[in-house]
Parts: sequence; structure tokens; C-alpha cells
Amino acid sequence: MTLLAKEKAAEAAGANVPRSQNHLNGLLEHRRIRGAIIAAPIVVLLLGFLVIPLSIILWGSVEGDKLTFSHYARIFSDETNFSVMLQTLKVGLIVTLLSLAASYPVAYLLTQIKSRALSIVTLFILVPLFTAFLIRTYAWMIILGRQGPINNTLIWLGLIREPLPLLNTTFGVVIGMVHVFMPIAIFTMYSSMVRIDHNFARAAQILGAKPVQAFLRVYFPMSLPGVFSAGILIFIIAIGFYITPALLGGPRDAMITQLIVTQMTTLLNFELSFASSIVLLLVTIGVLFFASLFIPLEMIWASPSVEITSQKPRSKSRFFGDVKQAVQPILTTVEALIHLVTKPLLTRKACWLWAYTILALLFLTAPLIVVFLLSFSSSLFVVFPPPGFSLQWWVKLGHASDWHESFLFSVKLGFVSAFFATIIGTMGAFWLVRTTLPFKRALFLFCLSPLMVPVIIIATALYMFEARIHLLGSFAGLVIGHVLLSVPYVVVVMAAALRGFDQSLEKAAAIHGARPMQVLRLVTLPLLKPALLTAGLLAFLTSFDELLITMFMIGRQTLTLPFKFWNDIKYELNPLLSAASTFIVILVAAAILTAHWIKVRHDRRISAGTGK
Amino acid sequence: MSTSLEMKKIQKWYGGLHVVRDFDLYVEPGEFVTFLGPSGSGKTTALKMIAGFEPPSGGDMLLGSRSIVDVPPYERGIGMVFQNYALFPHMTVAENVAFPLKVRRVARGEIEQKVLRALELVKMAEYRDRYPNQLSGGQQQRIALARAIVFDPSLLLMDEPLGALDRNLREHMKIEIMRIQKELNITVIFVTHDQDEALVMSDRIAVINEGKLVQVADAKSLYYRPQDRFVASFVGESNLLPCRVDQVENGAGRVTIGNQESGVVRLNGQSRGESGWLFVRPEHVDISARGAITDVGNVLDGVVENALFLGELTRYVVRCGKESITVKQQNRGQPQFTSGTPVSVSWNAGNSIVLN
Repeated sequence: MTLLAKEKAAEAAGANVPRSQNHLNGLLEHRRIRGAIIAAPIVVLLLGFLVIPLSIILWGSVEGDKLTFSHYARIFSDETNFSVMLQTLKVGLIVTLLSLAASYPVAYLLTQIKSRALSIVTLFILVPLFTAFLIRTYAWMIILGRQGPINNTLIWLGLIREPLPLLNTTFGVVIGMVHVFMPIAIFTMYSSMVRIDHNFARAAQILGAKPVQAFLRVYFPMSLPGVFSAGILIFIIAIGFYITPALLGGPRDAMITQLIVTQMTTLLNFELSFASSIVLLLVTIGVLFFASLFIPLEMIWASPSVEITSQKPRSKSRFFGDVKQAVQPILTTVEALIHLVTKPLLTRKACWLWAYTILALLFLTAPLIVVFLLSFSSSLFVVFPPPGFSLQWWVKLGHASDWHESFLFSVKLGFVSAFFATIIGTMGAFWLVRTTLPFKRALFLFCLSPLMVPVIIIATALYMFEARIHLLGSFAGLVIGHVLLSVPYVVVVMAAALRGFDQSLEKAAAIHGARPMQVLRLVTLPLLKPALLTAGLLAFLTSFDELLITMFMIGRQTLTLPFKFWNDIKYELNPLLSAASTFIVILVAAAILTAHWIKVRHDRRISAGTGK
Repeated sequence: MSTSLEMKKIQKWYGGLHVVRDFDLYVEPGEFVTFLGPSGSGKTTALKMIAGFEPPSGGDMLLGSRSIVDVPPYERGIGMVFQNYALFPHMTVAENVAFPLKVRRVARGEIEQKVLRALELVKMAEYRDRYPNQLSGGQQQRIALARAIVFDPSLLLMDEPLGALDRNLREHMKIEIMRIQKELNITVIFVTHDQDEALVMSDRIAVINEGKLVQVADAKSLYYRPQDRFVASFVGESNLLPCRVDQVENGAGRVTIGNQESGVVRLNGQSRGESGWLFVRPEHVDISARGAITDVGNVLDGVVENALFLGELTRYVVRCGKESITVKQQNRGQPQFTSGTPVSVSWNAGNSIVLN
């Protein structure tokens, strides 16, 4: 039989082993080359335009090889500087706590409602979320102003005679910032709370826990990681925030970012601004390090890749468990009291939640409505409510060629930045998800680093760096700054999409004859289309709304829309800004809706088990 | 069209883990071979190496007369049905089936014609414009099969394709797959952990355990003449009783089970004094009241430990000393034994064998 001969041949085939081993090596090398190619753009971008610039300002803050720490000493010894630091931390903390408290019930409601209501409520949060900080702050300037709706109402009610000074106070800053951060808080908490099964709380109730106990002892502790990560996210953005405090705050509300900008642009005290930047950066890093003790850091920006509930209890949580044990009797009493008080409310819990949520949504959208109404004002000044209806501001906007130029320039900048950010970010996501890497988590966090470093620091660092390499003031220089800020969003979106990607589809394509490029073109990219669209839109909006980096990098180019806006706000508040804002908000909302619609259509077609 | 596949001393190491060891297998053109084994036995890894998704750590593989170890998957010309079907969700049924032809740049008219033929073969022609998510599991399965055969592959791989289907559908699809395989006379490698699928469908079954081919044989030999305790216990139900060989006489021998002398059995190369495992299928064991004379060689006395009436048969567990023996008796009106009844169990020497 031939089998025997084949047996013999098999013996000889033993000699094949080294050959295939060689081939394996060749393949590995090939893989490594491929990995290097897809990793290169994002690594070059982050090293070249973030790490190196940051090193330059770190070096500069100690005056290079002089290694002097005098500038740091000045921050802590000078009373003004030090109080600015404290003010920054204080405002950051207040804003964080308020945003979390205000957002928790909304996020909780979102986890309970069905898809139809969910998408409507979500839309009311999404539109404020994607409305430029600048426009929202402008709206608050109107609302809180001497002639604004709040003061007018209070006077009309006869409660006060003189308008209250609401603008240029800490109160103004806090309310403006809470408004800015609430949508972020809601979505961050929702994305982790939605993974908590409500059956846990139901199980607790059937086992005899009162609703309050079920919530406080079962649901709430499980939702804490989400609350915590939202808090960290908001705090680090808040302490590095510039626009809102600068416009709504008074001189005593100055935050560290304003200190940095002033030192840099008017006082030309570079070293001090470098030192302040580094201090701010260190505080941010400290906060993130603290956070990393409790939660996986990537959870702050991306939805967690590991199940929260499946994690082993860490030693800290065990410590908290012991504390709880100790105060157990007090806890039970308090719970019983809360139960008594809330019993009548909780029986119609959904109703109260809805009422609160509608209030919250009103708070989120009211400023946009005010801006919208004001754009039809017949008055020459910013008065609310407007005395009459007129299209004059829209007509004016239609003829304002400087606004047109800014708009077109911003659109162009947005498209170019989004194009590069999407390509670089997507390649980076492929690199992070698809290749076997050591320190994968650390590299993922590194790719998110532009989100961790306060924007003001990126702006100043990039300013110094680009001035050295003579890129400052060029379109390319501006694009690099914007790409740097938007790449992390692309990475987050695409990495999530790739993790959920069924790789057996690519194998099926390969075994049935598709070459690697054909697999990419025919299977992988078409399936990633909605994610690419989302990533591109996020990148575009990031660039379209960007102010700080633009302020430093723009040079003599046409002003971008946000910069034009900024200049005009500082110069004079007029309803023309309302018309421009309304126009932008409508445009952004339309873009979000279109993207959402495309995604829904795509999902309906490809996701299993929905079609009939 | 259909091609032979030969695996020569194929090895696979994952780090220090030897997951596939010394695979030597020749699959004839047009043969249906099943890789049967528990999960983690290496059967899927073996399949992945045939497909080209994993390079073997050693050995050679020939498709026809061509070595395919260095050939990337897309040049192997193999069709494959995946465990979860892996239909492209963004393509219609027709586009899915056309995919292997499209990437090979086949002319449009020919694609049209071949897709239609493949869809007719799986009886899904009227669903050509649907999307995969609009189909039931069984229908998706058929489309996956159509896609895997549309380009006349030299070999068809199936990775637990029936696992996700409910029971009735699974029975039905078994028959369908066999029909299509016969119709196309295609070489098939089928991976499963389900012995029923393996027994019904295959020309030969390769039982795999801990990365090794334990026995490669057709269904009947595997069932009646397992060569190994693992095969005996994995395929079908069996009694395995520890025993000692007392006497050897040309291939047969006398054994002792516990301290009862049972009689004559077939041996599997054991010599005198060796201990082994006496293998006998439960349906080959007869049960009768204690003392009723049976003239078959092997008799053990015991007590009924429990009796389960299952309709067509009754399943007894009989305790004989330390061992318990499972008996399946067809119900043809004979008396039933309740638990606690002293009984004798017996079997034909030809139906039992001593395994190491």
C-alpha cells in the first residue's frame, strides 16, 4: 500500500522542520514590520509633538542646566500665585462634586428607560455636549448678566430692586462649569452604570431589603467606580479649564490657567508660566495616580474592558468594608429613617426621577434656547427677553464677510485635522488592539495622554516647540495641534470597535481567497464604517470647537470661528454672536443626527436578531 | 476536484504546551473524516493549521501533492464553515456566497451562475437578497456551507458547525451535509466533540485526546473495538472493569474481576499476570435472576443497585463486589428487577475485550 511509502516520506519530512522554522521567523519579522508601520504615525505624533515639547518646558522651568527651582518657589511663596492655586483646586472640587450629584439621577434614569425614550433624552444631552464651551459660556454671560433673564425675573417679581452681580463671581464660574461638565458626567457614569444589572437590586428587595437599602447597599456601591471615574475626569479638566473661568469669573476667581496665559502672553515671564504649567501637570498626574489605585485608568475615557463586578475586592475596599462594619448600627438607623421619609416618594420613583431629569435637561438646554431667541432680537443690545422680533442679526450675519471667512477656515481646518486624526488614530487602534505588545495597557494610556495633559499646557508647550522649528503660525502647525487633541478620541472609538470586531470574519475572508488588502477593503473597513464616522465626527468637532491651541498657534492666519467668537465676546456682547451661535449649534446638531441615523441604519442591518 | 490531505508528524507548541503531537493522517480524496475529541484536545488547533491560520511548529502537510505549510490561507483553496458561521453581516446572502469568486476575479456571469447553483444545492435560492441577520441559525448554516463550496474547493473544513443549532435542526443538517458531501464528492474534515455527529456522518473518525491521535477508524470499529480506555469511554457508554489476566490462549484469555472469575475474553496483546480493564458495552450485558443458568462464558453475581425504566429499555446498575456494572436491557416483556434483587449478569466473550 502507498501508505507505507508515505510513512517513509514522512521520515524524510522531518528535514522540513528547520525550513518552516525559518519561515516562521520570516513571518514574525514581517509582522513586526507591519506593526512598526501602523504604530509609527501615532508614536511620532505623540513623541514629537507632546513629549518633546513638554520636556522643553520642563527644562525651561528650571532654566535649563542652571537647575534653579526659584520659579517653583515663587509660585508657592508669592501669595497671589499660591491663592490662585488654591482657588483652582477649590473650584475644581466644587464643580466636580456638584456635577456628579446633579448628573447621577439622570444617568440612573437613563439605565432604566427603553430605547425610544433613551434616544430622545440622549439627544437633549448630546447637543449641549457638542456645543462649543465658548457658546455655552456666552449664553451664561447673557443669562447671568445685569439685563439677563434671572435678574429681570427677580426684579419683576419684586424680590430685588437692583440687579444682582451674578457675572464675574465664583458663583458664575461654578454654574457655567457645572453646565459644561454635566453632559460629560452623565455619559461617563451612564456608560459604566448601564452594565449593572438591575436584577441585583431586585434580588436584594425580594430578599427583604427596603428599596432604600437595595439601592444604597447593592446598586450604589456597584455604580461607584463609574462615579469615581467621572469625578476624576471632570476634576482634571476643571483644573485645566480656561474659557469659562476667564469669561464668567471676576479678578478674584482667576485660575491657574489664566495665570499661565497672562504670564506667557502679557507679562512675558516664560519661566514662571512654565513652572506653573509643570505644577498643574504634576497635580493632574497626582490625581490620576490616586485614581489608578482604585480603578483601571483607561476606564475614565473608554468604557471598561473588564467587568467591574468580576474584579476581586481590593484591599482598600476591604478596608472600607471594615469601616462599614463598625458603623453598622448607625447605618441601619439612618437607612430606616431615609426609608420612612422617601417611602411615599419611592413608590412612584420613576415619576420623581423623570421630573428631576426634565429639570436637568432644561438646565442643559435653556442656555441654548436663550441664545436662539436672542438671535431674533430687535434690540441693539443683549437684553432678555428680547423686546421684539427681528431678523436684523441674521441679515447682518449673512453679510459679515469676516464671519464667513472664519467659518470656512474652521471647516477647512476641521476637515483636514479630522482626516489626519482619523487615519493616525485608526492605525494606532489597530496597533494597540491587534498586535501582541508588551505593556499594552500603558501604551493605550500613552495614546490617550493628550486627554490627560491640560490643554493649556499642550498649547504653551507646542507654542514654544513650534516656534523653535519654525512651524508656528503655519497651517500645518495648527493642524498638528488639532490632530494631537483629537487623536485620542479616535483611538478610543476605534479600539472599542476593534475589540468588538468578530475576527473570524477576517479569517473566513482569508480562507475563501481574499488577500490581506482585499480583506481590509471588503470586510474590515466596511464593517468599521460607523465607528470611523463617529471617530471622524468627534475629531472634526474637537477641532471645530478648539480655542486654546488656536490662540497660541494661529499666527497671522484667518481667525478660526471660536477665536473670532472669543475676540468679539471680549470686545462687546451683541446679538450677532447669538445668531452665529445658533447657526453653529444647528449645524452641529444636524451632523450628530446624521451620524446617529447612519449608525442606527448600519446597526439594524448587521446586528444579529433584530431584523425580521 | 476533491483532493487528498496528508499530515506528517505535525506538531504544535504554544510556549511550553504541546497541543498537537505527531499527527500522522492520510485523508483520501472524497473521504469524510471527523476529528472527535473533548474540548481542549487540540482538534481545533489541528484544523487551524490545515486552514493556515496557525503555522505548525513541525512536520509537513500535503494537499494533493503540494506542501501547504508555507502557503498563506488565501492561496490554499480550502472552503471552511465556521463555528459561528462568520457570514459577512454587511453583505447579502448572494454577496456572501459570491465572495470567494469575487476575490478570485471570476467573471461576473460565471459568479452569478455558480452562486445560484450553490444556493440551490443548499435549498436557499429564494433568500439571496436577505442579510444574514434576517435568517435563522439553520439558514445561516446553509449559507455558510454554500459559501464554502461555491468555488469548488479541494477540501472542506467544518469547525463544530452544528453546535449552535437546536436538536431537531441538527439532525436535519447532519443529513443535509452528508447529502451535499456525496453529491459533490468533496473531501471533508469535520471537527466536533459530539460523538453522535461523528458516528453518523463520518467515513472515518479520528479520536483525539491530549493532542494525540488515539484511534482512527470507521464508526463500527471504533464502537465495537476501541483500542484504548479513552476511546471506549468517550465514544458511547461502556463498562470498564479492572481485571487481571490469568491465562492466555491465542488472543483470548481468562480474567479475574475483583475476586470473581468471570470467564473468557478477547485480549489486546496482554500477557499473563498483567492487569487491565475489561470493556463491555451495557447493551451487551444480559441480566437474569441469580442462579438461572446461562451458557455464555462470563457470569458475575451481583445485586441490583438501581433500575431506571426508560420505555424502550431499562437501565440497571448492578453491584458486583466493588464494581458496578451498567446494563441496558431492551424491553420485550421480560420480568423487571427491582433494586435489591440478587441477579447474575453475563456477556458473550466476543463482545468484551481487555484494554490497557
